[in-house]
Amino acid sequence: MSRRGATDVVVTGMGVITTIGDDPESFYRALVAGRSGIGRFNAIDDRVLARVGGDLSGFSLDAYLERHGDGVGNDTKALMAKLLRGSPLSTRLNAASALQAFRSARLLGADVDTRRIGHVLGGHNLTVSYLLENAKTFDEEPEFIDPLLGLKSWDTDVLSVTSEILGVRGPSFIVGAACASSNVSLQCALDLVRAGRADLVLVSGAPMEISSLLLQACVLMEAVSFRSFNDCPQRASRPFDARREGFVPSHAAGALVLESERHAERRGAKVFARVLGASSASAASRHAKPNFASQVAAISGALADAGIGADQVDYVNAHATSTPLGDAVEVAALKEALGRRAHEIPVNSTKSMIGHALTAASAVELVATILQMEHGHVHPTINQEDPDPELGLDFVPNVGRAHPIRVAISNAFGFGGLNSSVVVGAP
Amino acid sequence: MDRAEIFAVLKKNMTEIIGGARGREILETHRLLQDFDADSLEVVEVVSRTMKQVKIKVSRIRLNEANNIGELLDMFVAAQEAGAAPAAR
Repeated sequence: MSRRGATDVVVTGMGVITTIGDDPESFYRALVAGRSGIGRFNAIDDRVLARVGGDLSGFSLDAYLERHGDGVGNDTKALMAKLLRGSPLSTRLNAASALQAFRSARLLGADVDTRRIGHVLGGHNLTVSYLLENAKTFDEEPEFIDPLLGLKSWDTDVLSVTSEILGVRGPSFIVGAACASSNVSLQCALDLVRAGRADLVLVSGAPMEISSLLLQACVLMEAVSFRSFNDCPQRASRPFDARREGFVPSHAAGALVLESERHAERRGAKVFARVLGASSASAASRHAKPNFASQVAAISGALADAGIGADQVDYVNAHATSTPLGDAVEVAALKEALGRRAHEIPVNSTKSMIGHALTAASAVELVATILQMEHGHVHPTINQEDPDPELGLDFVPNVGRAHPIRVAISNAFGFGGLNSSVVVGAP
Repeated sequence: MDRAEIFAVLKKNMTEIIGGARGREILETHRLLQDFDADSLEVVEVVSRTMKQVKIKVSRIRLNEANNIGELLDMFVAAQEAGAAPAAR
C-alpha cells in the first residue's frame, strides 16, 4: 500500500514507437545493444543549420498494422484507417502506440466498463507541420485546405481520435507541460485512479511534429545540436559527455495503461510495474534555463509522494538531453535530492540513443525504465567518449550491464521551468 | 476532364472515404449522404478532395443545392467549363 493508503496503482499496458523499435520488445533490444536511431531529417529546409534527429515522418500505419495487428479486430483496423487517413503524424503515432498499450493490457474487446477508463494525453503544439502545410495551401487557394482542418488542428483531436479507436469513455483531457508533458500527464492519471474517478487511465505521450520552423527556433536559442555532428548524426546525442552541445529532437510516442491494483487483480491483468509516486514543480520562470531548486523539489516531491527514501532508489532514468547546462544542473539536483545514493546507482540517458522526443519523451522513457526494471539490466548511455569531470556519476557509459532494480526514478524537465519526476517500483 | 472522368474521380473518392460506398454501384441518381449512410464530414471530404483533384471550385452555398450525385456533377462540369479555379498544387 502506498503512503496515501487509498488505491495502489499499477502499470498493466505499455506501447512505444521510436526510431529504434516500434514495440516494447524491439525497443528494449535496441536499447541494451546501444543502437542509435539518430539520422538526418528528410524534409528540413536547407537553410536550417540543424540537420540531425530521429525522423519518423515516413511512418506507415498500414505497415505498422501488418507487423503489430495480431489481435486487433477488423472493425478496429477499419476505424483506424478511416480516422487516421490524412491525419497529422502526431495523431497517427499516438493512436498506434496507444493501441499497442491497450493490446498489451489485454483490453481490446475486454469486458470492462469503458466509462471507467480515462485518457490523459501528454503534449501540446502537436500539429505545427500540418498547419504550416495548410497555410501554404491557403496562400495559393483557400478552397483547397484540408476540409477537416477545423477538427484536426486541435490538439484535442489527437486525444479524441485515439479515444474513439479504443472506446475510451471516461474522463479525458490533455496536459501540457513542454518536455515534461508526459510525466505530468502520468501524474494526473495517477491522481484520477487514486481518487477513484477511473479504474484505468490511458496515458499517451504524443509527439510534436518537427518542422523546419521549430528546428530553426531551437537553433536561434542554441538549444539543439547543430555545430559539430551534422555529418555524424549518431554521435550528436551525447548526454553527460564533455562534447555535448545541445539536444537532438526526435519523433517518438509512448503509452501506458495505469490501473488500480484491485481492478487489475480482478481481471487477471499482468502487472509490469507499480506507480509509487509523482510530483511536479514550477520554477516560476518562462526561461529555458534549467532551475536547480525546482528540479530538486520535483525529485524530492515524487519520493515523498511515494513514501520512498533516497536510499531505496536503485536507478535513475535522467532527463539528460545533451545540453551543456541542462545535464549539469540535473546531475547537481540528483546529488542534492538523493545525497550519497546518487553516487551508488546507475543514472543513464535513453535520449543518447533516440534523441529528445519532446512532449512524448517522458512516456517513452518511463517505458524504457520499466523494461530495464523488468529485465534487471540497465542500458548504456552511448557516445561517452570524453567524460565531463564536473559531473561524476555512473552514467553507464557505452555498455549496459545487469543491475537489479526495485525502485526507479524517471525525470522530465521542460522549458518554462516545468519540472517533474515519477517513481515506479517492481511489481 | 469530361463528365465521365470527373464522375470516376468522385466515385474513387467516395469508395475510399465513405465506408457505405465500398463495393456498391454508384449512380447519378444516388444521394451522397443518405444513400450511402455517410456522415456530413465524409461528404465534405469527398467533395473537397474531388474539387482539388479536378482543379475546380464551386461555392459552398451552391453545393448544398445539389440533390443528388448527378446534380453535383453538373456543378463540377459547369465550374470546369467556366475555368473558375486556379491550378491546384
